[in-house]
Amino acid sequence: MNALALLLVMELGDRFALMGVVLGVLLTAVAYTVYAERRIAAFIQNRTGPDRVGFDLIPQLKFLKGAIGLGQPLADVIKLLMKEDVVPENANKFVHALAPLISLFAALTTIAVVPYAKGVAIADVNIGILYILAITSLGVYGITLSGWASNSKYSLLGGLRSSAQMISYELSMGLAVVSVVVLTNALNMGEIVESQTSNPLNWNVCRNLLGFIIFTTAAFAETNRAPFDLPEAEQELVGGYHTEYSSMKFALFFLAEYANMIVACTVIVTLFLGGYQVPFWTDAPWFVQVGAFITKTLFMMFVFIWVRWTLPRFKYNQLMDLGWKFMLPLGLFNLLIVASTIVIFGNSLPLSILNLVLVALCVAGSFAAKPQSKMA
Amino acid sequence: MNSLAYQIIFYLFAAIIVGSAALVVISKNIIHSAFGLLFTFFGVAAIYVYLNADFIAVTQIVVYVGGILVLLLFGVMLTNKITQADLKTETLNPVPGLLITLSVLAMLLYTFYFRAKWVTVPVDQQLRGTVVEPIGIATMTTYVLPFEIVSIVLMVALLGAAYIARADRKVQTKEGK
Amino acid sequence: MLNDLLLTLPITIATVWVLVLILCEAFVHNANLTRWLTAIGFAGIIASIFLIPSPEGYAYGTMLRTGTFTNFSNFIFAVSGLLVVSISDKYLEEEEINFGEYYIILFISTIGMMLMGSAANLSVIFIGLETMSVALYTLAGMLRKDVRSNEAAMKYFLLGSFATGFFLYGIALIYGATGELALPRIAASLQTNGVSTLFWIGLSLLMIGFLFKVSAVPFHQWTPDVYEGSPTTAAAFMSTGSKAAAFSSLIIVLSNISIALPNNAVLQTAFAYIAVATMAVGNITALTQDNLKRMLAYSSIAHAGYMLVGIAAGSNEGYSGVLYYALIYTLMNVGAFGVIAVLERHRTLTNASDYAGLFKQHPLLAGLMAVFMFSLAGLPPFGGFVGKYKVFAAAVEADLTWLAIVGVLASVVSVYYYLRVVIFMFMRDPEPAPQANANATGSFALVAIAVIVFLMGIFPTEVLKLADNAMKVALK
Repeated sequence: MNALALLLVMELGDRFALMGVVLGVLLTAVAYTVYAERRIAAFIQNRTGPDRVGFDLIPQLKFLKGAIGLGQPLADVIKLLMKEDVVPENANKFVHALAPLISLFAALTTIAVVPYAKGVAIADVNIGILYILAITSLGVYGITLSGWASNSKYSLLGGLRSSAQMISYELSMGLAVVSVVVLTNALNMGEIVESQTSNPLNWNVCRNLLGFIIFTTAAFAETNRAPFDLPEAEQELVGGYHTEYSSMKFALFFLAEYANMIVACTVIVTLFLGGYQVPFWTDAPWFVQVGAFITKTLFMMFVFIWVRWTLPRFKYNQLMDLGWKFMLPLGLFNLLIVASTIVIFGNSLPLSILNLVLVALCVAGSFAAKPQSKMA
Repeated sequence: MNSLAYQIIFYLFAAIIVGSAALVVISKNIIHSAFGLLFTFFGVAAIYVYLNADFIAVTQIVVYVGGILVLLLFGVMLTNKITQADLKTETLNPVPGLLITLSVLAMLLYTFYFRAKWVTVPVDQQLRGTVVEPIGIATMTTYVLPFEIVSIVLMVALLGAAYIARADRKVQTKEGK
Repeated sequence: MLNDLLLTLPITIATVWVLVLILCEAFVHNANLTRWLTAIGFAGIIASIFLIPSPEGYAYGTMLRTGTFTNFSNFIFAVSGLLVVSISDKYLEEEEINFGEYYIILFISTIGMMLMGSAANLSVIFIGLETMSVALYTLAGMLRKDVRSNEAAMKYFLLGSFATGFFLYGIALIYGATGELALPRIAASLQTNGVSTLFWIGLSLLMIGFLFKVSAVPFHQWTPDVYEGSPTTAAAFMSTGSKAAAFSSLIIVLSNISIALPNNAVLQTAFAYIAVATMAVGNITALTQDNLKRMLAYSSIAHAGYMLVGIAAGSNEGYSGVLYYALIYTLMNVGAFGVIAVLERHRTLTNASDYAGLFKQHPLLAGLMAVFMFSLAGLPPFGGFVGKYKVFAAAVEADLTWLAIVGVLASVVSVYYYLRVVIFMFMRDPEPAPQANANATGSFALVAIAVIVFLMGIFPTEVLKLADNAMKVALK
């Protein structure tokens, strides 16, 4: 086995290094996303948010205290680790422990195919986008199994809700992905980014705005974020699928949830926002590309947080109606539009215009059909 | 990577497939069976990757792991007390069953190892890189008929499932009762 | 592509018509309308076979075979469907399952059969088999609240899936041994590369799948429970259409492959033994059955045995005999099940003793049943006799005289249990009479079947010519 490991490391040394870097960045980013979420939530709700914890033990960093509370994530982690690990009496111990690991596994493996700069990805899989769909579909297991293994009705309901939700929205997500594949004529993530060029008008968000909206909405649902956070709706289900989790296992779920969100943002950026492309600067050096990528990802993360603290939660039947009766037909329709425009016109400019008109029509239509929805 | 590493990984996956498939059959707990199935599907997907059929591998995971198995778990969880059910049939014939199984296995293994002339594709005709495009083209040309008929199979399965699962209706008679 | 659609006109019509049926049922919710439309669909298929018979050749590349063989087999399936539809509605109303889905699923099942009967590629055979089987599983479970029906559906589904697994594994091994899925190319590959053990194993696994579908021994155990539990009309369809489909598919596979097998004595002997076992088990077990549906189930096993005699002969004669037999069996068996459906009440009144004195109350029904029973027993001058004569004669020609003798002996045994029903009907005193439950279309269909069965016994030459012709061209 050691020989095998050695062989693998020799073959794939640089990729292992990249993997280490990406995972390190990702896990740190998770910690600070939680912090950012709390600060932004506080800002939106006209509060202050966490602003106490600094780095008192390190003299050089003492000045950070008081102002913005940058030490908060560290304190949170230590708190979680010190807690007692409670496993319910009649739980299925093995599955109970396995579930958070599956969640985290699904969240962390998706990032492997995302390109951070031209030619820089942990794994340059030639069907990267399908890989992402496959791994995403795994994420549901963590939640479903945690709900079942806890032997608690709140957990079970949360788990069931989430699996139904994720399966439903995976379809429209897949259709949005297919429309991107049709547009870019590639399954490789790197090629998808390359085909969007450095001209922002060529980014898929312009060429395929409807697809972008569908994918982003589905991503909200897939990551169980508000307004689709029914699996853990605290008013109804206590804590949903992680009601019976504490300490490190809870921390793992927490980690998976935010890692999922970040990964979803990177995928959205890659598919629709030009990935690492720097606007109007073809062949930028790699660190600029990485910078552009990170900036775009941060923006999408801000959108995620913004939406969470702005929109109220859906009811369960509304969620299903939206998924099956609106998003799925819309996704099919979008695919039809994209494919036929490409066949007829062969280039993307009419598509951008058509898409804008369609989105405008959809928005206008939804307001005209349900004027009361503004009240919600 | 050199071929030794390839072989070791291959046998690792093969062991996973066989072991988890045995778990599916032997386990008395239906959830454990479902788990075993999960690993079987995964292992098979890995074998597809070895066969340079990346698209099939991913489809295997998306369809079986992401779709069918989740629905299966769903069914198990929604069905009350099914997880405690004792999955043992009354008619159990271990000796004849084992004999037949082993003899079939022996026959197949013997054939595969000593008597089989597997058809092989010449090296210059083998597919390189991604197989998605050739699969797409073949599906839309040579195999367009089976491909379209599959939609009818799915439709009749849906129809049948809907009929069996739907709520009661009033029966129509000629008198229009 | 357009040309392919025209070449396989029956399948094209059926596929388009299914959409019409589904849309109609979805928006109108009228089972009777759907029933009539289904009947029109079957009539359209039959009409297209006669008016625009497809020329010899292939369609969709080498996916489908067209020509006389296909025309003949498609005709059997469409006739089976049409007859079952016409005897169904009163029974369904009685059992309170008169829903449009029944007819739609039955129609889709026919598409699967037609694909099996015209396939020239193993993938098409498999998909046709699946289409047919999935539809039949549902038909078996149509009586949702009846435990027996649920049991039938479950049993059929589980065992059927198991058999399909064998079938698919067989296809995979054949592909591994020859590198082809198209039957003509498989034969060509066998001729150039020789026949390996791997191919034989693949072929035997494939045959297990077929033998399950035709309920040959030792893959027959599901048959009585499924036929008894299913709605009677659905059982009529299963025992005729699906069996004919499996046999026509089997003929296609064997007639293609036998070109490449220099010495097919192995195959012949295997089929001969299976035929003997099937005839023996089917007929002997049928002797002890009181329930008529179970009796007909075992008799259908026995009839599969007679048809396997034709397959074992392995000649043009044998295959065309099987085709003719499939047609006549379809007619007489749908007829017999139809009479049972007319008299049955919620699973009662299906025993032979319930038919005591039927002649005095319902002379027409009793007469019809008697015709079907005589024909099933293979007595002249009914169609069943010609069918049996044809397959046994083929066996004699193929130097399988002993097999023909076994077949004749088995038929003699079968006379006992068929005539028992007739004796009950004509020679016993009437019990409290069962209420007949037939309408105009159903009665007309039954009478028409009886007349055709009779005519096919007296003037078989024209149909026999068609069957011979079908095989001649298919085997070349």
